[in-house]
Amino acid sequence: MTSRNISPGLWFILPTMLLLATLIIYPMLSTVELSLTDSSGAFAGMRNFNVAISAPSTRLILFNTAYYVIGSVVFQLLLGILAGILLNQQFAGRSVVRSLMLIPWVVPGIVAAMTWAWMFHTDYGIINYMLMQLGIISEPVGWLTDPDTVMPALIAVNAWKMFPFVAVMVLAGLQSVPDELYEAVRVDGASFWHEIWHIMLPQLQPVLVSVTLLLTIWALDGITIIYSITGGGPANRSMIFPIQIYVQAFEYFEFNRAAAMAVLYFLFIAVIIVLYMRMFAAQDKD
Amino acid sequence: MQDRRRTLVISLPVALLVLVAVFPFLWMAVSAFKPLAQLYTIPPRWLPDPPTLVNFKTVLFESNIPRYFVNSLIISIGSTSLALIFAIFAAYGFARFDFRGRSAALAFVLIGQLLPTATVIVPLYIVLNYLGLINTYLGLILVYLILTLPLSVWMLTGYFRGIPKELEDAAIIDGASHLGVLFRISLPLVSPGIIAVALYSFVATWNEFVFALSFATEKEMKTLPIGLAEFSTEFDTDWGAVMAASFVMTLPIALIFLVMQRMFVSGLMSGATKG
Repeated sequence: MTSRNISPGLWFILPTMLLLATLIIYPMLSTVELSLTDSSGAFAGMRNFNVAISAPSTRLILFNTAYYVIGSVVFQLLLGILAGILLNQQFAGRSVVRSLMLIPWVVPGIVAAMTWAWMFHTDYGIINYMLMQLGIISEPVGWLTDPDTVMPALIAVNAWKMFPFVAVMVLAGLQSVPDELYEAVRVDGASFWHEIWHIMLPQLQPVLVSVTLLLTIWALDGITIIYSITGGGPANRSMIFPIQIYVQAFEYFEFNRAAAMAVLYFLFIAVIIVLYMRMFAAQDKD
Repeated sequence: MQDRRRTLVISLPVALLVLVAVFPFLWMAVSAFKPLAQLYTIPPRWLPDPPTLVNFKTVLFESNIPRYFVNSLIISIGSTSLALIFAIFAAYGFARFDFRGRSAALAFVLIGQLLPTATVIVPLYIVLNYLGLINTYLGLILVYLILTLPLSVWMLTGYFRGIPKELEDAAIIDGASHLGVLFRISLPLVSPGIIAVALYSFVATWNEFVFALSFATEKEMKTLPIGLAEFSTEFDTDWGAVMAASFVMTLPIALIFLVMQRMFVSGLMSGATKG
Protein backbone atom coordinates (compact mmCIF):
# COMPACT_ATOMS: atom_id res chain seq x y z
CA MET A 1 0.00 0.00 0.00
CA THR A 2 1.27 3.41 -0.92
CA SER A 3 -0.88 5.52 1.37
CA ARG A 4 -1.89 4.94 4.94
CA ASN A 5 -5.53 5.64 4.17
CA ILE A 6 -8.00 2.85 4.73
CA SER A 7 -8.73 1.08 1.47
CA PRO A 8 -12.33 1.46 0.24
CA GLY A 9 -12.36 -2.34 -0.07
CA LEU A 10 -12.28 -2.60 3.72
CA TRP A 11 -15.39 -0.46 4.02
CA PHE A 12 -17.17 -2.71 1.58
CA ILE A 13 -16.43 -5.90 3.50
CA LEU A 14 -16.74 -4.44 7.01
CA PRO A 15 -20.50 -4.99 7.63
CA THR A 16 -20.31 -8.61 6.49
CA MET A 17 -17.20 -9.33 8.52
CA LEU A 18 -18.75 -7.83 11.65
CA LEU A 19 -21.89 -9.88 11.14
CA LEU A 20 -19.94 -13.09 10.57
CA ALA A 21 -17.78 -12.40 13.62
CA THR A 22 -20.94 -12.03 15.70
CA LEU A 23 -22.47 -15.18 14.28
CA ILE A 24 -19.36 -17.38 14.28
CA ILE A 25 -16.45 -16.08 16.37
CA TYR A 26 -18.54 -14.97 19.32
CA PRO A 27 -20.40 -18.30 19.62
CA MET A 28 -17.14 -20.19 19.31
CA LEU A 29 -15.45 -18.21 22.08
CA SER A 30 -18.60 -18.61 24.11
CA THR A 31 -18.49 -22.38 23.54
CA VAL A 32 -14.96 -22.49 24.92
CA GLU A 33 -16.06 -20.49 27.96
CA LEU A 34 -19.05 -22.76 28.55
CA SER A 35 -16.88 -25.84 28.26
CA LEU A 36 -14.68 -24.58 31.09
CA THR A 37 -17.44 -23.61 33.51
CA ASP A 38 -20.27 -25.37 35.32
CA SER A 39 -23.98 -24.63 35.08
CA SER A 40 -23.70 -21.83 37.66
CA GLY A 41 -20.91 -20.19 35.65
CA ALA A 42 -18.09 -21.08 38.05
CA PHE A 43 -14.76 -22.21 36.62
CA ALA A 44 -14.72 -25.99 36.32
CA GLY A 45 -11.35 -26.66 34.74
CA MET A 46 -11.35 -29.77 32.60
CA ARG A 47 -14.24 -31.42 34.47
CA ASN A 48 -16.72 -31.19 31.56
CA PHE A 49 -14.16 -32.69 29.23
CA ASN A 50 -13.41 -35.51 31.64
CA VAL A 51 -17.08 -36.32 32.09
CA ALA A 52 -17.67 -36.23 28.33
CA ILE A 53 -14.68 -38.42 27.53
CA SER A 54 -15.17 -40.95 30.30
CA ALA A 55 -18.89 -41.48 29.64
CA PRO A 56 -19.51 -45.19 28.93
CA SER A 57 -21.06 -44.46 25.54
CA THR A 58 -18.15 -42.36 24.28
CA ARG A 59 -16.15 -45.22 22.78
CA LEU A 60 -19.13 -46.53 20.87
CA ILE A 61 -20.00 -43.05 19.60
CA LEU A 62 -16.46 -42.38 18.41
CA PHE A 63 -16.40 -45.76 16.69
CA ASN A 64 -19.77 -45.07 15.03
CA THR A 65 -18.62 -41.65 13.87
CA ALA A 66 -15.47 -43.06 12.28
CA TYR A 67 -17.47 -45.93 10.76
CA TYR A 68 -20.04 -43.56 9.28
CA VAL A 69 -17.53 -41.02 7.97
CA ILE A 70 -15.12 -43.54 6.43
CA GLY A 71 -17.91 -45.70 5.01
CA SER A 72 -19.71 -42.72 3.53
CA VAL A 73 -16.63 -41.14 1.97
CA VAL A 74 -15.35 -44.41 0.48
CA PHE A 75 -18.65 -45.24 -1.21
CA GLN A 76 -19.31 -41.67 -2.28
CA LEU A 77 -15.89 -41.63 -3.97
CA LEU A 78 -16.28 -45.07 -5.56
CA LEU A 79 -19.73 -44.43 -6.94
CA GLY A 80 -18.92 -40.87 -7.91
CA ILE A 81 -15.70 -41.72 -9.77
CA LEU A 82 -17.41 -44.57 -11.64
CA ALA A 83 -20.33 -42.33 -12.59
CA GLY A 84 -18.02 -39.48 -13.58
CA ILE A 85 -15.91 -41.68 -15.87
CA LEU A 86 -19.04 -43.23 -17.36
CA LEU A 87 -20.63 -39.87 -18.09
CA ASN A 88 -17.43 -38.68 -19.75
CA GLN A 89 -17.89 -41.32 -22.49
CA GLN A 90 -19.77 -40.67 -25.70
CA PHE A 91 -23.25 -42.18 -25.82
CA ALA A 92 -26.72 -41.26 -26.96
CA GLY A 93 -28.78 -39.36 -24.37
CA ARG A 94 -25.74 -38.39 -22.35
CA SER A 95 -26.97 -34.96 -21.33
CA VAL A 96 -30.28 -36.38 -20.09
CA VAL A 97 -28.44 -38.97 -18.02
CA ARG A 98 -26.19 -36.26 -16.59
CA SER A 99 -29.26 -34.34 -15.41
CA LEU A 100 -30.99 -37.41 -13.97
CA MET A 101 -27.87 -38.32 -12.04
CA LEU A 102 -28.11 -35.05 -10.13
CA ILE A 103 -31.48 -35.98 -8.58
CA PRO A 104 -30.10 -37.45 -5.34
CA TRP A 105 -28.14 -34.29 -4.68
CA VAL A 106 -31.07 -31.99 -5.54
CA VAL A 107 -33.61 -33.76 -3.33
CA PRO A 108 -33.66 -32.20 0.18
CA GLY A 109 -31.71 -34.26 2.74
CA ILE A 110 -34.73 -34.82 4.94
CA VAL A 111 -36.79 -36.03 1.98
CA ALA A 112 -34.04 -38.45 1.01
CA ALA A 113 -33.96 -39.69 4.61
CA MET A 114 -37.72 -40.25 4.79
CA THR A 115 -37.86 -41.93 1.40
CA TRP A 116 -35.08 -44.35 2.25
CA ALA A 117 -36.61 -45.05 5.65
CA TRP A 118 -39.76 -46.13 3.82
CA MET A 119 -37.75 -48.19 1.34
CA PHE A 120 -35.91 -49.89 4.23
CA HIS A 121 -39.18 -50.68 6.03
CA THR A 122 -38.94 -54.21 7.43
CA ASP A 123 -42.36 -55.49 6.41
CA TYR A 124 -43.45 -53.34 3.48
CA GLY A 125 -40.16 -51.89 2.24
CA ILE A 126 -39.28 -52.31 -1.41
CA ILE A 127 -35.67 -53.17 -0.62
CA ASN A 128 -36.48 -56.29 1.37
CA TYR A 129 -38.93 -57.31 -1.33
CA MET A 130 -36.41 -56.93 -4.14
CA LEU A 131 -33.62 -58.67 -2.26
CA MET A 132 -35.93 -61.59 -1.46
CA GLN A 133 -37.07 -61.82 -5.07
CA LEU A 134 -33.42 -61.93 -6.15
CA GLY A 135 -32.78 -64.64 -3.58
CA ILE A 136 -30.14 -62.56 -1.77
CA ILE A 137 -31.98 -62.78 1.56
CA SER A 138 -34.48 -65.40 2.62
CA GLU A 139 -36.45 -63.41 5.16
CA PRO A 140 -37.04 -59.68 5.77
CA VAL A 141 -34.13 -57.80 7.36
CA GLY A 142 -34.86 -55.07 9.92
CA TRP A 143 -32.36 -52.74 8.31
CA LEU A 144 -32.96 -49.81 10.63
CA THR A 145 -33.70 -51.75 13.81
CA ASP A 146 -30.99 -54.40 13.67
CA PRO A 147 -27.83 -53.07 15.39
CA ASP A 148 -25.62 -54.72 12.77
CA THR A 149 -27.32 -53.34 9.67
CA VAL A 150 -28.29 -49.86 10.79
CA MET A 151 -24.93 -48.24 10.00
CA PRO A 152 -24.48 -49.83 6.58
CA ALA A 153 -28.04 -48.76 5.71
CA LEU A 154 -27.39 -45.17 6.79
CA ILE A 155 -24.10 -45.13 4.90
CA ALA A 156 -25.96 -46.27 1.78
CA VAL A 157 -28.33 -43.32 2.11
CA ASN A 158 -25.47 -40.86 2.53
CA ALA A 159 -23.51 -42.41 -0.36
CA TRP A 160 -26.56 -42.11 -2.59
CA LYS A 161 -27.14 -38.51 -1.54
CA MET A 162 -23.66 -37.18 -2.23
CA PHE A 163 -22.17 -39.28 -5.03
CA PRO A 164 -23.43 -36.87 -7.73
CA PHE A 165 -21.20 -34.17 -6.24
CA VAL A 166 -18.14 -36.39 -6.74
CA ALA A 167 -19.32 -37.34 -10.23
CA VAL A 168 -19.68 -33.71 -11.30
CA MET A 169 -16.25 -32.82 -9.96
CA VAL A 170 -14.70 -35.86 -11.65
CA LEU A 171 -16.45 -35.01 -14.90
CA ALA A 172 -15.12 -31.45 -14.79
CA GLY A 173 -11.65 -32.78 -14.00
CA LEU A 174 -11.72 -35.27 -16.87
CA GLN A 175 -12.80 -32.63 -19.36
CA SER A 176 -9.58 -30.75 -18.72
CA VAL A 177 -7.40 -33.80 -19.51
CA PRO A 178 -5.73 -33.11 -22.89
CA ASP A 179 -6.71 -35.52 -25.66
CA GLU A 180 -3.04 -36.08 -26.56
CA LEU A 181 -2.59 -38.07 -23.37
CA TYR A 182 -5.24 -40.58 -24.43
CA GLU A 183 -4.02 -40.69 -28.02
CA ALA A 184 -0.49 -41.42 -26.89
CA VAL A 185 -1.49 -44.60 -25.05
CA ARG A 186 -4.10 -45.66 -27.59
CA VAL A 187 -1.38 -45.83 -30.23
CA ASP A 188 0.24 -48.44 -28.00
CA GLY A 189 -3.06 -50.33 -27.88
CA ALA A 190 -3.77 -49.63 -24.20
CA SER A 191 -7.00 -50.94 -22.71
CA PHE A 192 -9.73 -48.79 -21.17
CA TRP A 193 -8.65 -49.88 -17.69
CA HIS A 194 -5.15 -48.78 -18.50
CA GLU A 195 -6.52 -45.37 -19.44
CA ILE A 196 -8.42 -45.12 -16.18
CA TRP A 197 -5.52 -46.23 -14.04
CA HIS A 198 -2.62 -44.44 -15.73
CA ILE A 199 -4.23 -41.31 -17.15
CA MET A 200 -7.55 -40.42 -15.57
CA LEU A 201 -6.87 -41.13 -11.90
CA PRO A 202 -3.43 -39.44 -11.81
CA GLN A 203 -4.88 -36.39 -13.57
CA LEU A 204 -7.80 -36.33 -11.13
CA GLN A 205 -5.66 -36.62 -8.03
CA PRO A 206 -5.76 -32.97 -6.89
CA VAL A 207 -9.53 -32.80 -7.44
CA LEU A 208 -10.05 -36.04 -5.55
CA VAL A 209 -7.97 -34.92 -2.58
CA SER A 210 -9.97 -31.75 -2.06
CA VAL A 211 -13.26 -33.56 -2.72
CA THR A 212 -12.33 -36.16 -0.10
CA LEU A 213 -11.66 -33.47 2.49
CA LEU A 214 -15.00 -31.80 1.73
CA LEU A 215 -16.88 -35.09 1.91
CA THR A 216 -15.23 -35.83 5.25
CA ILE A 217 -16.35 -32.49 6.70
CA TRP A 218 -19.89 -33.01 5.41
CA ALA A 219 -20.10 -36.59 6.69
CA LEU A 220 -18.94 -35.36 10.10
CA ASP A 221 -21.75 -32.80 9.87
CA GLY A 222 -24.23 -35.56 9.09
CA ILE A 223 -27.01 -34.98 11.57
CA THR A 224 -29.99 -34.72 9.23
CA ILE A 225 -30.04 -38.22 7.77
CA ILE A 226 -29.21 -40.16 10.92
CA TYR A 227 -31.24 -38.13 13.40
CA SER A 228 -34.38 -38.18 11.28
CA ILE A 229 -34.17 -41.89 10.41
CA THR A 230 -33.03 -43.52 13.66
CA GLY A 231 -32.42 -40.73 16.18
CA GLY A 232 -29.13 -42.50 16.94
CA GLY A 233 -30.73 -45.84 17.79
CA PRO A 234 -31.18 -48.71 18.23
CA ALA A 235 -29.38 -48.47 21.59
CA ASN A 236 -26.92 -45.81 20.37
CA ARG A 237 -25.72 -48.05 17.55
CA SER A 238 -26.07 -45.22 15.04
CA MET A 239 -25.29 -42.37 17.45
CA ILE A 240 -22.56 -40.12 16.07
CA PHE A 241 -20.68 -37.31 17.76
CA PRO A 242 -22.56 -34.23 16.44
CA ILE A 243 -25.93 -35.79 17.31
CA GLN A 244 -24.64 -36.51 20.79
CA ILE A 245 -23.81 -32.80 21.14
CA TYR A 246 -27.38 -31.95 20.18
CA VAL A 247 -28.83 -34.57 22.53
CA GLN A 248 -26.70 -33.46 25.50
CA ALA A 249 -27.73 -29.84 24.95
CA PHE A 250 -31.39 -30.04 23.99
CA GLU A 251 -32.62 -33.30 25.49
CA TYR A 252 -30.56 -33.42 28.72
CA PHE A 253 -29.89 -29.66 28.96
CA GLU A 254 -26.25 -30.36 29.85
CA PHE A 255 -25.06 -27.22 28.06
CA ASN A 256 -21.58 -27.24 29.57
CA ARG A 257 -20.90 -30.84 28.71
CA ALA A 258 -22.28 -30.27 25.20
CA ALA A 259 -19.96 -27.28 24.86
CA ALA A 260 -16.96 -29.38 25.89
CA MET A 261 -17.90 -31.94 23.24
CA ALA A 262 -18.36 -29.18 20.67
CA VAL A 263 -14.83 -27.92 21.41
CA LEU A 264 -13.34 -31.38 20.86
CA TYR A 265 -15.41 -31.80 17.73
CA PHE A 266 -14.29 -28.44 16.39
CA LEU A 267 -10.60 -29.14 17.06
CA PHE A 268 -10.85 -32.29 14.98
CA ILE A 269 -12.69 -30.59 12.15
CA ALA A 270 -10.31 -27.64 12.21
CA VAL A 271 -7.48 -29.98 11.17
CA ILE A 272 -9.42 -31.03 8.08
CA ILE A 273 -10.45 -27.46 7.28
CA VAL A 274 -6.81 -26.33 7.47
CA LEU A 275 -5.75 -29.15 5.12
CA TYR A 276 -8.51 -28.19 2.72
CA MET A 277 -7.63 -24.49 2.76
CA ARG A 278 -4.00 -25.34 2.04
CA MET A 279 -5.06 -27.37 -0.99
CA PHE A 280 -7.30 -24.53 -2.03
CA ALA A 281 -4.52 -21.94 -1.74
CA ALA A 282 -2.11 -24.20 -3.66
CA GLN A 283 -4.62 -24.66 -6.49
CA ASP A 284 -5.36 -20.94 -6.56
CA LYS A 285 -1.72 -20.16 -7.25
CA ASP A 286 -1.50 -22.47 -10.27
CA MET B 1 -18.95 -50.45 -35.91
CA GLN B 2 -16.55 -49.66 -33.16
CA ASP B 3 -18.91 -46.94 -31.96
CA ARG B 4 -21.96 -49.17 -31.93
CA ARG B 5 -20.18 -51.81 -29.88
CA ARG B 6 -18.99 -49.18 -27.45
CA THR B 7 -22.54 -47.87 -27.04
CA LEU B 8 -23.78 -51.36 -26.23
CA VAL B 9 -21.04 -51.99 -23.69
CA ILE B 10 -21.76 -48.69 -22.04
CA SER B 11 -25.55 -48.82 -21.95
CA LEU B 12 -25.78 -51.42 -19.17
CA PRO B 13 -23.81 -49.45 -16.55
CA VAL B 14 -25.56 -46.26 -17.66
CA ALA B 15 -28.97 -47.90 -17.16
CA LEU B 16 -27.84 -49.09 -13.73
CA LEU B 17 -26.63 -45.62 -12.80
CA VAL B 18 -29.91 -44.01 -13.85
CA LEU B 19 -31.85 -46.64 -11.91
CA VAL B 20 -29.86 -46.04 -8.72
CA ALA B 21 -30.12 -42.26 -9.01
CA VAL B 22 -33.79 -42.04 -9.92
CA PHE B 23 -35.49 -44.99 -8.25
CA PRO B 24 -35.86 -43.64 -4.68
CA PHE B 25 -37.25 -40.39 -6.04
CA LEU B 26 -39.77 -42.24 -8.21
CA TRP B 27 -40.69 -44.55 -5.36
CA MET B 28 -41.46 -41.53 -3.20
CA ALA B 29 -43.70 -40.04 -5.90
CA VAL B 30 -45.46 -43.35 -6.58
CA SER B 31 -46.03 -44.02 -2.86
CA ALA B 32 -47.51 -40.56 -2.38
CA PHE B 33 -50.33 -41.47 -4.78
CA LYS B 34 -51.13 -44.87 -3.26
CA PRO B 35 -54.08 -45.53 -0.97
CA LEU B 36 -53.33 -47.06 2.40
CA ALA B 37 -54.24 -50.60 1.39
CA GLN B 38 -51.79 -50.53 -1.51
CA LEU B 39 -48.92 -49.17 0.58
CA TYR B 40 -49.07 -52.03 3.05
CA THR B 41 -49.22 -55.07 0.85
CA ILE B 42 -46.90 -57.95 0.10
CA PRO B 43 -45.84 -58.18 -2.64
CA PRO B 44 -45.70 -54.38 -3.07
CA ARG B 45 -47.59 -52.84 -5.97
CA TRP B 46 -45.39 -51.02 -8.42
CA LEU B 47 -47.99 -48.47 -9.45
CA PRO B 48 -51.01 -47.11 -7.62
CA ASP B 49 -54.24 -48.43 -9.10
CA PRO B 50 -56.04 -46.11 -9.28
CA PRO B 51 -53.86 -43.18 -8.10
CA THR B 52 -55.39 -41.31 -5.20
CA LEU B 53 -55.00 -37.83 -3.75
CA VAL B 54 -56.01 -38.97 -0.28
CA ASN B 55 -52.47 -38.58 1.12
CA PHE B 56 -52.25 -35.05 -0.20
CA LYS B 57 -55.60 -34.30 1.35
CA THR B 58 -54.28 -35.49 4.70
CA VAL B 59 -51.15 -33.38 4.33
CA LEU B 60 -52.85 -30.22 3.11
CA PHE B 61 -55.97 -30.22 5.27
CA GLU B 62 -55.34 -32.37 8.33
CA SER B 63 -51.74 -31.61 9.24
CA ASN B 64 -49.56 -28.64 10.10
CA ILE B 65 -47.59 -28.98 6.87
CA PRO B 66 -49.17 -25.92 5.15
CA ARG B 67 -48.19 -23.78 8.13
CA TYR B 68 -44.66 -25.23 8.08
CA PHE B 69 -44.50 -24.56 4.35
CA VAL B 70 -45.29 -20.87 4.90
CA ASN B 71 -42.80 -20.68 7.80
CA SER B 72 -40.08 -22.19 5.62
CA LEU B 73 -40.92 -19.77 2.84
CA ILE B 74 -40.74 -16.70 5.11
CA ILE B 75 -37.50 -17.76 6.78
CA SER B 76 -35.77 -18.84 3.56
CA ILE B 77 -36.69 -15.70 1.64
CA GLY B 78 -35.86 -13.47 4.61
CA SER B 79 -32.44 -14.94 5.17
CA THR B 80 -31.62 -15.11 1.47
CA SER B 81 -32.47 -11.43 0.93
CA LEU B 82 -30.65 -10.24 4.02
CA ALA B 83 -27.54 -12.19 3.08
CA LEU B 84 -27.67 -10.84 -0.46
CA ILE B 85 -27.70 -7.22 0.72
CA PHE B 86 -24.59 -7.70 2.83
CA ALA B 87 -22.90 -9.99 0.34
CA ILE B 88 -23.16 -7.61 -2.63
CA PHE B 89 -20.97 -5.06 -0.86
CA ALA B 90 -18.57 -7.60 0.60
CA ALA B 91 -18.14 -9.53 -2.63
CA TYR B 92 -17.49 -6.31 -4.54
CA GLY B 93 -14.89 -5.34 -1.96
CA PHE B 94 -13.17 -8.70 -2.24
CA ALA B 95 -13.29 -8.77 -6.03
CA ARG B 96 -12.16 -5.23 -6.79
CA PHE B 97 -9.80 -4.05 -4.08
CA ASP B 98 -6.52 -5.21 -2.74
CA PHE B 99 -5.96 -4.44 0.90
CA ARG B 100 -4.12 -5.74 3.89
CA GLY B 101 -5.91 -8.70 5.46
CA ARG B 102 -7.93 -9.42 2.33
CA SER B 103 -6.92 -13.05 1.98
CA ALA B 104 -7.29 -13.66 5.71
CA ALA B 105 -10.82 -12.26 5.57
CA LEU B 106 -11.66 -14.42 2.55
CA ALA B 107 -10.26 -17.46 4.34
CA PHE B 108 -12.52 -16.65 7.28
CA VAL B 109 -15.54 -16.56 4.97
CA LEU B 110 -14.58 -19.97 3.62
CA ILE B 111 -14.20 -21.35 7.15
CA GLY B 112 -17.65 -20.02 7.95
CA GLN B 113 -18.99 -21.93 4.99
CA LEU B 114 -17.34 -25.18 6.05
CA LEU B 115 -18.08 -25.00 9.76
CA PRO B 116 -20.43 -27.77 10.94
CA THR B 117 -23.55 -26.47 12.61
CA ALA B 118 -23.14 -28.61 15.73
CA THR B 119 -20.13 -26.57 16.82
CA VAL B 120 -22.16 -23.42 17.46
CA ILE B 121 -25.69 -24.53 18.38
CA VAL B 122 -25.24 -24.33 22.15
CA PRO B 123 -24.11 -20.69 22.47
CA LEU B 124 -26.43 -19.60 19.65
CA TYR B 125 -29.32 -21.04 21.63
CA ILE B 126 -28.22 -19.13 24.73
CA VAL B 127 -27.84 -15.86 22.81
CA LEU B 128 -31.17 -16.25 21.01
CA ASN B 129 -32.85 -17.14 24.27
CA TYR B 130 -31.35 -14.06 25.94
CA LEU B 131 -32.61 -11.86 23.10
CA GLY B 132 -36.04 -13.51 23.15
CA LEU B 133 -35.55 -14.77 19.60
CA ILE B 134 -36.17 -18.48 20.13
CA ASN B 135 -39.27 -19.49 18.16
CA THR B 136 -39.32 -16.31 16.09
CA TYR B 137 -38.89 -15.79 12.37
CA LEU B 138 -36.20 -13.19 13.01
CA GLY B 139 -34.19 -15.64 15.13
CA LEU B 140 -33.99 -18.26 12.41
CA ILE B 141 -33.45 -15.67 9.68
CA LEU B 142 -30.43 -14.32 11.57
CA VAL B 143 -29.04 -17.75 12.40
CA TYR B 144 -29.42 -18.87 8.79
CA LEU B 145 -27.05 -16.07 7.79
CA ILE B 146 -24.35 -18.49 8.94
CA LEU B 147 -25.31 -20.61 5.95
CA THR B 148 -26.31 -17.99 3.41
CA LEU B 149 -23.82 -15.19 3.98
CA PRO B 150 -20.50 -17.02 3.43
CA LEU B 151 -22.00 -18.85 0.48
CA SER B 152 -23.31 -15.64 -1.12
CA VAL B 153 -20.07 -13.72 -0.58
CA TRP B 154 -18.03 -16.59 -1.94
CA MET B 155 -20.11 -17.10 -5.08
CA LEU B 156 -20.69 -13.41 -5.81
CA THR B 157 -16.98 -12.62 -5.52
CA GLY B 158 -16.46 -14.99 -8.43
CA TYR B 159 -19.14 -13.28 -10.48
CA PHE B 160 -17.77 -9.77 -9.83
CA ARG B 161 -14.30 -10.96 -10.83
CA GLY B 162 -15.73 -12.03 -14.15
CA ILE B 163 -16.53 -8.42 -15.16
CA PRO B 164 -13.78 -6.69 -17.11
CA LYS B 165 -12.20 -4.11 -14.85
CA GLU B 166 -11.80 -1.66 -17.78
CA LEU B 167 -15.55 -0.98 -17.74
CA GLU B 168 -15.32 0.27 -14.17
CA ASP B 169 -12.07 2.15 -14.67
CA ALA B 170 -13.65 4.18 -17.45
CA ALA B 171 -16.47 5.23 -15.13
CA ILE B 172 -14.05 6.10 -12.33
CA ILE B 173 -12.09 8.34 -14.71
CA ASP B 174 -15.37 10.05 -15.57
CA GLY B 175 -15.68 10.89 -11.89
CA ALA B 176 -18.04 8.20 -10.60
CA SER B 177 -17.71 7.04 -7.00
CA HIS B 178 -17.04 3.41 -6.05
CA LEU B 179 -20.62 3.04 -4.90
CA GLY B 180 -21.90 4.59 -8.11
CA VAL B 181 -19.84 2.17 -10.17
CA LEU B 182 -21.08 -0.76 -8.12
CA PHE B 183 -24.75 0.11 -8.54
CA ARG B 184 -24.79 1.52 -12.07
CA ILE B 185 -22.28 -0.69 -13.83
CA SER B 186 -21.25 -3.84 -11.98
CA LEU B 187 -24.49 -4.86 -10.33
CA PRO B 188 -26.56 -4.97 -13.55
CA LEU B 189 -23.81 -7.03 -15.15
CA VAL B 190 -23.82 -9.67 -12.41
CA SER B 191 -27.61 -9.98 -12.23
CA PRO B 192 -27.54 -13.59 -13.50
CA GLY B 193 -25.08 -14.27 -10.68
CA ILE B 194 -27.38 -12.63 -8.16
CA ILE B 195 -30.22 -14.89 -9.25
CA ALA B 196 -28.04 -17.97 -8.96
CA VAL B 197 -26.81 -17.00 -5.50
CA ALA B 198 -30.33 -16.21 -4.32
CA LEU B 199 -31.65 -19.56 -5.52
CA TYR B 200 -28.76 -21.36 -3.96
CA SER B 201 -29.21 -19.68 -0.57
CA PHE B 202 -32.91 -20.38 -0.77
CA VAL B 203 -32.29 -24.09 -1.28
CA ALA B 204 -29.72 -24.22 1.52
CA THR B 205 -32.13 -22.68 4.04
CA TRP B 206 -35.16 -24.56 2.75
CA ASN B 207 -33.37 -27.85 3.46
CA GLU B 208 -31.74 -26.89 6.76
CA PHE B 209 -32.48 -29.23 9.64
CA VAL B 210 -30.27 -28.81 12.71
CA PHE B 211 -30.80 -25.11 13.49
CA ALA B 212 -34.52 -25.44 12.84
CA LEU B 213 -34.66 -28.42 15.17
CA SER B 214 -32.87 -26.52 17.94
CA PHE B 215 -34.33 -23.01 17.66
CA ALA B 216 -37.92 -23.50 16.47
CA THR B 217 -39.58 -25.81 18.93
CA GLU B 218 -43.11 -24.44 19.02
CA LYS B 219 -45.73 -25.79 16.69
CA GLU B 220 -46.38 -22.39 15.13
CA MET B 221 -42.74 -21.78 14.20
CA LYS B 222 -41.49 -25.13 12.92
CA THR B 223 -40.22 -25.47 9.38
CA LEU B 224 -40.93 -28.12 6.76
CA PRO B 225 -37.94 -30.42 7.39
CA ILE B 226 -38.89 -30.68 11.06
CA GLY B 227 -42.54 -31.24 10.21
CA LEU B 228 -41.53 -34.04 7.90
CA ALA B 229 -39.31 -35.70 10.49
CA GLU B 230 -42.13 -35.46 13.06
CA PHE B 231 -44.47 -37.42 10.86
CA SER B 232 -42.32 -40.50 11.14
CA THR B 233 -41.42 -40.28 14.81
CA GLU B 234 -45.05 -40.67 15.74
CA PHE B 235 -45.82 -44.19 16.78
CA ASP B 236 -47.91 -45.17 13.84
CA THR B 237 -46.23 -43.66 10.81
CA ASP B 238 -48.57 -42.74 7.98
CA TRP B 239 -46.09 -43.43 5.20
CA GLY B 240 -48.45 -42.28 2.48
CA ALA B 241 -48.70 -38.87 4.14
CA VAL B 242 -44.94 -38.73 4.72
CA MET B 243 -44.31 -39.38 1.04
CA ALA B 244 -46.94 -36.83 0.01
CA ALA B 245 -45.36 -34.22 2.32
CA SER B 246 -41.93 -35.10 0.89
CA PHE B 247 -43.36 -34.56 -2.56
CA VAL B 248 -44.72 -31.14 -1.57
CA MET B 249 -41.40 -30.14 -0.01
CA THR B 250 -39.41 -31.21 -3.07
CA LEU B 251 -41.62 -29.37 -5.57
CA PRO B 252 -40.13 -25.86 -5.23
CA ILE B 253 -36.61 -27.28 -5.34
CA ALA B 254 -37.40 -29.40 -8.38
CA LEU B 255 -38.86 -26.36 -10.17
CA ILE B 256 -35.78 -24.27 -9.45
CA PHE B 257 -33.60 -27.12 -10.64
CA LEU B 258 -35.52 -27.62 -13.87
CA VAL B 259 -35.34 -23.95 -14.79
CA MET B 260 -31.82 -23.26 -13.62
CA GLN B 261 -29.95 -26.49 -14.04
CA ARG B 262 -26.77 -24.86 -15.33
CA MET B 263 -26.52 -22.47 -12.41
CA PHE B 264 -27.31 -25.23 -10.00
CA VAL B 265 -24.38 -27.26 -11.19
CA SER B 266 -21.99 -24.32 -11.00
CA GLY B 267 -23.20 -23.75 -7.45
CA LEU B 268 -22.64 -27.40 -6.65
CA MET B 269 -19.12 -27.16 -7.98
CA SER B 270 -18.25 -24.15 -5.91
CA GLY B 271 -18.62 -26.56 -3.02
CA ALA B 272 -21.44 -24.59 -1.55
CA THR B 273 -23.68 -27.42 -0.41
CA LYS B 274 -24.18 -28.69 3.08
CA GLY B 275 -26.05 -31.95 2.75
